Amino acid sequence: MRSPFHSEPEAFRSVVLLTLALIPVVLAATLGPTWLALVVLAVVIGALAVRVAQLRMRKLRGVELPVKMAPPHLGSAAERRVLVVANDTLSEEALLSEVERLASVPSTHVLLLVPALISTGARLTGAVDGLLDQARVRLKTALDRVGHDLVVAGEISEADPLEAIEDTFATFVPDEVIVSTRWERAASGLEPRLAGLVRERFAVPVRHLVFERGSGAQEPDEDTEARYQHEFGDAAARKFGLKALAGAGILAAVLMSTVALVQSGEREEARAASQAAAQQAAALPPVATVVDLSVIAEYKRGPEGEKHDAFTTTEFAVRAGRPQELKIDNTDSVPHSITAPEARVSIVVMPGTHTYTLVVKQPGRYLWFCTFVCDEWAMQHPGYMSGYITVS
Amino acid sequence: MLVEHPDEAAGLAIASGLRFAGYAVAVCPGPQGHGQCPLTGPAGCAPAHDADLVVCSLGYEHEVAREVLRELRTRYPDRPLLVEVPSDIDADLRELLDGCHRLPAPATPEQVVAAVQSLSGHVAEEDGADA
Repeated sequence: MRSPFHSEPEAFRSVVLLTLALIPVVLAATLGPTWLALVVLAVVIGALAVRVAQLRMRKLRGVELPVKMAPPHLGSAAERRVLVVANDTLSEEALLSEVERLASVPSTHVLLLVPALISTGARLTGAVDGLLDQARVRLKTALDRVGHDLVVAGEISEADPLEAIEDTFATFVPDEVIVSTRWERAASGLEPRLAGLVRERFAVPVRHLVFERGSGAQEPDEDTEARYQHEFGDAAARKFGLKALAGAGILAAVLMSTVALVQSGEREEARAASQAAAQQAAALPPVATVVDLSVIAEYKRGPEGEKHDAFTTTEFAVRAGRPQELKIDNTDSVPHSITAPEARVSIVVMPGTHTYTLVVKQPGRYLWFCTFVCDEWAMQHPGYMSGYITVS
Repeated sequence: MLVEHPDEAAGLAIASGLRFAGYAVAVCPGPQGHGQCPLTGPAGCAPAHDADLVVCSLGYEHEVAREVLRELRTRYPDRPLLVEVPSDIDADLRELLDGCHRLPAPATPEQVVAAVQSLSGHVAEEDGADA
């Protein structure tokens, strides 16, 4: 596959695309749970894979724009530059004779391009040396045979054959391309449809020479070339489709396992947190359903010996967010209050016996006091007309 | 240079002449046989966009070919167009070709190259060829 960093504009486009693709992943990872980030990552990878697959399928089927391109001729008008692309057919005497014939024409330069045909598997495992050596030996033998001089040069390419040819249009700038294959593709040979693919892309004459062992060169007719395009294109697309499906299956399985692992980890954490909360709650003092209390004038003696107004209960223990009923008998003739601004509590206790609801949302210990003017000293001292609400 | 020619071999012959005259070329067979021309769609055509000069030899007896020419004139009004047309053309085509550079059909590749060179004012450098 063509590298997304093959040229400067392609590299720039790839970097921008990758950055844009990573934004939703980063957002999901920052704002949401881990499994959501994984799912978004999978969606992004899936979208990129689909786009790559589309491009690859188009390339494999040869469905490109019908426009052929070619750079200006290099050198003087009399010069002619011929690119010969071959691999296993380099051993054919007929091909070497054709190269010799081309090289004998004055002002003609010949470049023998030998794609090493490195498969993706070999590339991934690094097992490329053998293939490169094989290509090197073939090229050396051919160059020795035709005479390695200034007009015949050789080159080995690790890239895909079509990309290798594309690269030579930037360096060698051929005026004609000869693609040499067998009638059927051998393990170490070029695809017979390569000539058609080159013809589709480049605005230079392309000759397809087919060699069988020991026989002379033959050129396929248009029907045969069309059949090559169709059969090899479909076969390559089918093969790629199967690989893509297998890859998608593996990716989905890995993703599902990872999400399951993350979710089970999160569930475990949640269970542990819930158990800890239950244990903490169990350790707290029990909370009465209804607390009975009174407000009585001159009810309790202060440290100086005088009697002061007071609530009979001034410490309230409640659970966060849970209503606590207070049944208060205000024996005084004026209203009093339980006011705790920090806890957002303000209960006006009217004369007589009434039931009030105390609700505090945030855990903590809050000071409350009576805001109605009564016993000034008692209003400022917890245990009298003031106290604490403890929220757990 | 963008060369629009429905015949592959003829298009390549013109392209070869232009390449040897020092031009980078793109050869397009036009809309016939390839469905809708991208130039007439919303996406546009990158080779047409990038070309300094367009050689049009699509055969303008067909409406689709005229549509391509119309799009080229509309989208790139300042782009020189060299159009290969027979001498006997209808009024609509004459109106469409108003302002274009014409080349009598059928033109040889050498005639096309000479017309392009004269239009672009470019003479290919043939450093060693004259020797």
